[in-house]
Amino acid sequence: MKTKVVLNFSPEAANTPITHNLIAKYKLLVNILRAEIDEVGGKMVLELSGKADDIRKGIDYLKESGVGVRPIKEGVRRDDELCTHCGMCVSICPTKALAMDPKTGKVTFTEEKCVACGVCIDACPPRAMEILL
Amino acid sequence: MTAEEFKAFVKSNGTRKAAKEVDIVTTGSFGAMCSSGAYFNFGHSDPPIKMQRVWMDGIPAYTGLAAVDAYLGATELDESNNMMHGGAHVLEDLVRGKAVRLRATSYGTDCYPRKEIDTYVSLKTVNQAVLLNVRNCYQNYAVGTNSSSKTLYTYMGKLLPEFGNATYCSAGEVSPLINDPYYRTIGIGTRIFLGGAQGYIIWEGTQFNPGVPRTPAGVPKRAAGSIAVIGDLKQMSSDFLRGLTFTRYGTSLGLGIGVPIPILDEEMAKACAVTNDQILTAVFDYSQPTRSRTVVKEVNYAELRSGEIEIKGKGVPTSSLSSLVKARQITELLKNQILKGEFTIEKPIQNFPMDRVFKPLDVRTEKEAM
Repeated sequence: MKTKVVLNFSPEAANTPITHNLIAKYKLLVNILRAEIDEVGGKMVLELSGKADDIRKGIDYLKESGVGVRPIKEGVRRDDELCTHCGMCVSICPTKALAMDPKTGKVTFTEEKCVACGVCIDACPPRAMEILL
Repeated sequence: MTAEEFKAFVKSNGTRKAAKEVDIVTTGSFGAMCSSGAYFNFGHSDPPIKMQRVWMDGIPAYTGLAAVDAYLGATELDESNNMMHGGAHVLEDLVRGKAVRLRATSYGTDCYPRKEIDTYVSLKTVNQAVLLNVRNCYQNYAVGTNSSSKTLYTYMGKLLPEFGNATYCSAGEVSPLINDPYYRTIGIGTRIFLGGAQGYIIWEGTQFNPGVPRTPAGVPKRAAGSIAVIGDLKQMSSDFLRGLTFTRYGTSLGLGIGVPIPILDEEMAKACAVTNDQILTAVFDYSQPTRSRTVVKEVNYAELRSGEIEIKGKGVPTSSLSSLVKARQITELLKNQILKGEFTIEKPIQNFPMDRVFKPLDVRTEKEAM
């Protein structure tokens, strides 16, 4: 199974090789979707793939290491009221989660493909895209 | 018929039959139209004020006019250059029925003694609120791309490094001026669909430049004609009038315009039959910080619409900056309004001048400018 989580670090936890441990000890596939770390700690968005049991154990390990863990609820969200379907976002979306339907000209948003990288947020002229982590 | 219906009709029936059977073709576009704004008359306060500085929701409006007239430009920003809320967003708020804070200051005169006012206005309270745009609805436009190693934030949107993407903004085959390449039916006095209401073309748009290279059928291969338009902001809808933000560039107005084109003769039918594969434009590298960028290559709108063009052997994803969905909505709405008799066709009272050229601004001496 796959799950996306948001991690919040204290400066101390930032010095622990947690991603290495998730891979080595819990045999999880770790995809880093976003990472922002500075002197007061940081935030990371991971996609974890593996057996359900291993994912649970991995998350328990993170919590024990003093890392705040919560699942991504929505990630990137589109406000359909604001979207004008211009299509600015489709050429910058790295996973093609945002794509243009060639027939209708509408911009489709496939949430399963979205990795919450956020490049669409400041590219959207009517500001219809929002990132919730 | 809408532009798309007409093109399909011509494909199966030819232009002669189309010219005989079809009266009007409706065209449309919804995109960023920067050279836009609205003028207002706020009414007089008691005691009255001759407004010298005006802010609408913090955005400065130009008021070097009579006492309570002001013009709010779509790209105007507040003093902090907050690009999330500029003049265009204030226009959208007004059209949505919201009240906007109006602040004005003055030096005071014998006839206008008041020196400041701080109040709220809405489209209900003002005497006039008139959209007056000096350049909209460009006849074709460039494609933007970026060869440099860093992301560029431009009026053509976010351009990713190393030819990471390419953006274009013309609605192509449904765009008004593309279907009337020599402005035979579109001129001063033409009634149009403007932001959800009815408006008029009042002049050629600024930078009107009909002399650019054209295809054998006459379709300009670069940005050519444009229109200046006017209409009642009070009648407009936020479906077709939106504040837009282009990160690190500024704000612009997303505006919907529709123009009906009468099929005068077979020549007009041929012009309106043009399809995306016959409309060419040039790709420019926006990392060149000059007014005369070199053409990277020419492409057509069928290629642009396919989602990918080829630049220097690389597949480059494309993005449109204008909404085909809304352009289509406009062509449908306009068609239905014409069929119901709610929208009547106006013959231009004067055609656009074909001898206009697009001159640059150089740093010159007083003598050289004479």
